[in-house]
Amino acid sequence: MVRLRLVTALVWLLVMLALPLTAYAHGVIVDYMVDTTIKIVARYDTGEPMAGAQVVVYAPDDPAVPWLTGVCDEEGCFTFTPDASKPGIWVVQVRKAGHGGMVHIPVGESVAATTGVGGFSVLQIVLMSMCVIWGFVGTALYFSRRGA
Amino acid sequence: MRKRMLLPLISLLFVASMSLVGCAPSGATGTLQFHANGEDFVRQGFVSKDGWSITFDHVYVTLADVTAYQTDPPYDPHSGADIKGKVKVSLPKTYTVDLAEGGEKAPPILVGEVKSAPVGHYNAISWRMVKASSGPANGYSLVIVGTAEKVGQRIDFSIKVDEEYEYSCGEFVGDVRKGIVQQGGTADVEMTFHFDHIFGDADTPLDDELNVGAVGFEPFARLARDGKLNVDLVACRAKMAAKDYQALVDILPTLGHVGEGHCHCH
Repeated sequence: MVRLRLVTALVWLLVMLALPLTAYAHGVIVDYMVDTTIKIVARYDTGEPMAGAQVVVYAPDDPAVPWLTGVCDEEGCFTFTPDASKPGIWVVQVRKAGHGGMVHIPVGESVAATTGVGGFSVLQIVLMSMCVIWGFVGTALYFSRRGA
Repeated sequence: MRKRMLLPLISLLFVASMSLVGCAPSGATGTLQFHANGEDFVRQGFVSKDGWSITFDHVYVTLADVTAYQTDPPYDPHSGADIKGKVKVSLPKTYTVDLAEGGEKAPPILVGEVKSAPVGHYNAISWRMVKASSGPANGYSLVIVGTAEKVGQRIDFSIKVDEEYEYSCGEFVGDVRKGIVQQGGTADVEMTFHFDHIFGDADTPLDDELNVGAVGFEPFARLARDGKLNVDLVACRAKMAAKDYQALVDILPTLGHVGEGHCHCH
């Protein structure tokens, strides 16, 4: 059995932060740093580079339609520059000869808002929170008036 | 006067709040279909790593607890953890499907569908392969029926597996991105089964990890009598060379995939 893993994903996004980050995915270490480009290094779990593997990149605003396609080089590397106007989770899929893997890369500072909480936007959450607080205040005022 | 205005104002805000909830995408639904796919290996046949040309008449798998999830962060099958999804939808029954059904150009088998699946991206799936309680695969989770041929030899075989397996998988890896349900639309997720893992593939280098781990067909062929082979795991354990039987039980849990993406087998 050949099991593919995306061994290392290196992400440089200079625009926002210049901090190196470390995360763990697919049982291996995935390092990425903030810069303007994303560099993927794809290998089989034997360590062999996925030379010539097909790469498909999906932007967060249209996850069903490929934003970019390409091919890994001899070292299993592929580099691209994400559209800075599309913050969120960028997905990169790498496939070769019946084996494939996928890596999810957060880009931009509004990732939390994009992924959301239960499907509500930030505006909806703020407005609903204000309504609830206002409701408590109003109820308290109502009963305080009755007491008086 | 101001206090009199408070109650209507509070009521208005409450209604507005509920309207916002009603407009949220979490209330919208579409249809999510579940497919099972033995790939062209099963539909069209292939040559094993040891030169046997194999075609399949039936490949029965029995599936239970089939569930799709919306996970955030995306589920990582290499973690070995259970899937924790914000949203999940399941098929209600146990299904025995024939992955070889429909000929060489047949589409993947539709196992079932959920017509009121909340919209969103179903990027993880889990299922169990269980022993069938009736039908042609009764008593087995997997039954492989077919013919193997090699230089004038022909073996009609039936290989039956009564072990049960539970798979947890991430997102489908393939030509298209699957599982994205939009309001009123239809999307699908797929349980993919890689039978080249058992028999190996002559089109792949022999030193490829796929072929190194595969049993091949020769160990099965040695058990045939008069061109017939009908074995289960008990018979395989009794009659196969120990290393071949061990290779078989080691490789069976790796059958389940999502396209080309790997799964965790519990």
